[in-house]
Amino acid sequence: MAMQPHSKKRVCYYYDSDIGNYYYGQGHPMKPHRIRMTHNLLLNYGLYRKMEIYRPHKATADEMTKFHSDDYIRFLRSIRPDNMSEYNKQMQRFNVGEDCPVFDGLYEFCQLSAGGSVAAAVKLNKQASEICINWGGGLHHAKKSEASGFCYVNDIVLGILELLKYHQRVLYIDIDVHHGDGVEEAFYTTDRVMTVSFHKYGEYFPGTGDLRDIGAGKGKYYAVNIPLRDGMDDESYESIFVPIISKVMETFQPSAVVLQCGADSLTGDRLGCFNLTVRGHGRCVELVKRYGLPFLLVGGGGYTIRNVSRCWTYETSVALGVEIANELPYNDYFEYFGPDFKLHISPSNMSNQNTPEYLEKIKNRLFENLRMLPHAPGVQVQAIPEDAVNDESEDEDKIDKDERLPQSEKDKRITGDGELSESEDEGDARRDNRSYRVPQRKRPRLDKDAQPKDDVKAEDSKDDVKNVSNMEEPKKEVTSNA
Amino acid sequence: MVLAERSNDVRNGKRSRGPSPNGHGSPDSSSEDENAVVPFAAEKIRVGRDYQAVCPELEPVEQRKPDQISDRALLVWSPTSDITDLKLDEYITTAKEKYGYNGEQALGMLFWHKHDLSRASMDLANFTPFPDEWTVEDKVLFEQAFQFHGKSFHRIRQMLPDKSIASLVKYYYSWKKTRTRTSLMDAVGEGRNPTSSGTGKRESGAGSEPGGSDKDSDNDEKGEGGDATKWCSVCGILCTYTTAHNSHKLCQACLVHARRTGSMRPLCGPSGRRGPGSKQQRYKHRLPRGIYLNHDDLVAMATGPQPGDATQPGLVNQGEAMLKAMDREIISLKRQVQQHKQQLSAMKRKVGDAGVEELRPGEPPAKINSRWTNDELLMAVTAVRKYGKDFQAIAETLGTKTEAHIRTFFISYRRRYNLDAVLREHEADRGNANHIQPGTTSTESTDNDVANTTANSGSGSTQAKDEKTEVDSEGVSIGASAEQGGPPTTPPKHKPAK
Repeated sequence: MAMQPHSKKRVCYYYDSDIGNYYYGQGHPMKPHRIRMTHNLLLNYGLYRKMEIYRPHKATADEMTKFHSDDYIRFLRSIRPDNMSEYNKQMQRFNVGEDCPVFDGLYEFCQLSAGGSVAAAVKLNKQASEICINWGGGLHHAKKSEASGFCYVNDIVLGILELLKYHQRVLYIDIDVHHGDGVEEAFYTTDRVMTVSFHKYGEYFPGTGDLRDIGAGKGKYYAVNIPLRDGMDDESYESIFVPIISKVMETFQPSAVVLQCGADSLTGDRLGCFNLTVRGHGRCVELVKRYGLPFLLVGGGGYTIRNVSRCWTYETSVALGVEIANELPYNDYFEYFGPDFKLHISPSNMSNQNTPEYLEKIKNRLFENLRMLPHAPGVQVQAIPEDAVNDESEDEDKIDKDERLPQSEKDKRITGDGELSESEDEGDARRDNRSYRVPQRKRPRLDKDAQPKDDVKAEDSKDDVKNVSNMEEPKKEVTSNA
Repeated sequence: MVLAERSNDVRNGKRSRGPSPNGHGSPDSSSEDENAVVPFAAEKIRVGRDYQAVCPELEPVEQRKPDQISDRALLVWSPTSDITDLKLDEYITTAKEKYGYNGEQALGMLFWHKHDLSRASMDLANFTPFPDEWTVEDKVLFEQAFQFHGKSFHRIRQMLPDKSIASLVKYYYSWKKTRTRTSLMDAVGEGRNPTSSGTGKRESGAGSEPGGSDKDSDNDEKGEGGDATKWCSVCGILCTYTTAHNSHKLCQACLVHARRTGSMRPLCGPSGRRGPGSKQQRYKHRLPRGIYLNHDDLVAMATGPQPGDATQPGLVNQGEAMLKAMDREIISLKRQVQQHKQQLSAMKRKVGDAGVEELRPGEPPAKINSRWTNDELLMAVTAVRKYGKDFQAIAETLGTKTEAHIRTFFISYRRRYNLDAVLREHEADRGNANHIQPGTTSTESTDNDVANTTANSGSGSTQAKDEKTEVDSEGVSIGASAEQGGPPTTPPKHKPAK
């Protein structure tokens, strides 16, 4: 993939001045105020004037149900702190109430966050901009019908869905300290979106993101998880980020990139456990930017708000290709940045539990998976586990009742008509949601596929790196959830 | 952490997020993930109709109509290359400081005028943003409510029903930091006197009461080392101006009273001059160290237009207006400080990592040492030949001596090395040089002449005749080596020539 030198780009920035006024509740670590702090810092650094500034429309329920289920969005729209008691059952069902509290203006907050990312995606589709930024977005834990990890509406998924109208393949990269499970789940079975998540793994929220989770069905090998330990520093991070991303770019060849810039991977985060500096974090933005693809930057986690706004301000400057001084300009929230009032932060002396050997092992394992991808873009290759057949009948009934069936079938046919040659022969018989269970032999690579996997397993019993799992696991999960 | 206790709570197959577990086990703990007992045990991505997104079809290129898609967003600013950064900065500063805009509003105005700077500047006055809708009463109420309820904005709102939660949240975040500004008041005030936990806001309220000035004017004299004449000798208040009246120095208020009544103004507090140093009397309510009340300011604050109806927005009372103006000034200054810091660091970066060191002549100055080595003595004499009595230049050339050292050297070695002759030679050279380039060094030379005459008068000019033979640089070196045995470590104390 062609790399472009550090260059000036047309940057669009999405922000609504109301977004800082939402408040999750006393003691809650998520503070939308950090977005306003970032904004104010940008303004006073003179970065604001170098971008196109948009105030996004509030996303409509219609736009949000492009991904989310109707009743979930209806629920979000009607719930308020003063009528919570009437919704007990639904709150349980949609996981709203504790980590994801009901707060004043909850629905509007979701609308603004989602509206920004959707508008940014539209802008990229129109080719009216090379880089779009929505620091109010990046809520990567939200599921189709469920809130999770402070996220209610998954603006990233909505943005990617918008991009998919004009882009055959979209790459999603997640540098939040938490696994980007919501986005991964949404695109777990598609080969049009590759999700790459770098995250702390092991007794850590949300618990997903094993090295062995690689996608299912058509989407097998299109989910890339990089499980990391405590104390990742700038150097280690780059040492794993660069090779993985360049390999992904080379094999997947996306035509647009979405980067979730969760700032809880910074050192000293209230919830995080990595040791990145603002510079190391921003380096990821710089590296991705160099590919010169339509680029959507969204926010995400980040719970030490002064560092979050430092980080996102710096990353905005990186996107713009503008250097900014280390001394912070005076701004409305200047006192928050004491005692040094500098932009950059120093790492702590915490130990890095990611040894070079560990990172090397992960990298090699992921490279093996990426090798399973068809190199020529658009050539569909699938490995379908045979042992996943048995619970098919259980879901069959539901699927038949699915009112979205015609749409999904149409999707299949169209992708088949397009560049994805392989999907043609699966054609009409297939339904989107169970595609991974249809026993289907893919032609060229299966034998080769099986071979290295066995090696891996043998090796794995010796070392501590997670194995590429056998293919039964996704199926088990479905059984338990169905 | 509120969320910590919930980590074991399992709902919907998901566990709540907790804070980062510090003591997670060895790297191979992930292999135990199959045991669902551990909190945050491995979860799996679920597959099925209820979980995945439905990807839209790719629109064929020929069917795309990107121009017709709405932006779904409102453009509020777009960059322009027509206006230089400097002009833009100027415009923004004017808008901020003169009209009370914020940077965003100023740029919005400019964008609305299609980047026409002059039209936007003219229009600034027509659309000044609404002043802060928070009155002093609101702010005091908020603080009380906050002390009571903490960050439960719902409860706070019950005390401030006309504010939205959004407005409360916004105010909270901007107030949070201003607290640190008044924290000195808080800390000292509360430490000494728990009843008056005065914050800046309340001080301003008190300060605006006429008649309250006597009580409030009490000062902590400790920190005051200032000009005693500015203390009113009756009420003991720091003033900008005092007027002499019947052997008293009076502030304006006392003066008026004295003139009108012929007697000194009675005070509610203990009377007597309480200038710096007199610590015998203490009021109950005292200002923390480092904070003073200036009587004139208080008078100005108290006598300004008082709002009969404080609720009417826009009409702020004089005191509040003054405080606000001061706040604005502080902010403006802070902004400048940060700008200067940025400029400094930019310059430093430009100079490079080596900094200015590279540009400094030679090696960095060696350790200053009062002991004279032979080399130094030689160099010093040569330097006198070159620089005359410019001791500073000599000290810089030697690098190991201060200017004072050179001065003592000159005095103590004057005879031994015939320095007067050396000086004359120097003068002669300079004289020639002056003839060649008049004007450039003329002032210097006159200075030197003056210095010379005084020096010559101080020390006898008897030997001034014969040393010429010895004092070329070689001659000195011989002389110096002859003296090698005992260069004084501590030069004898002569009276300076001047």
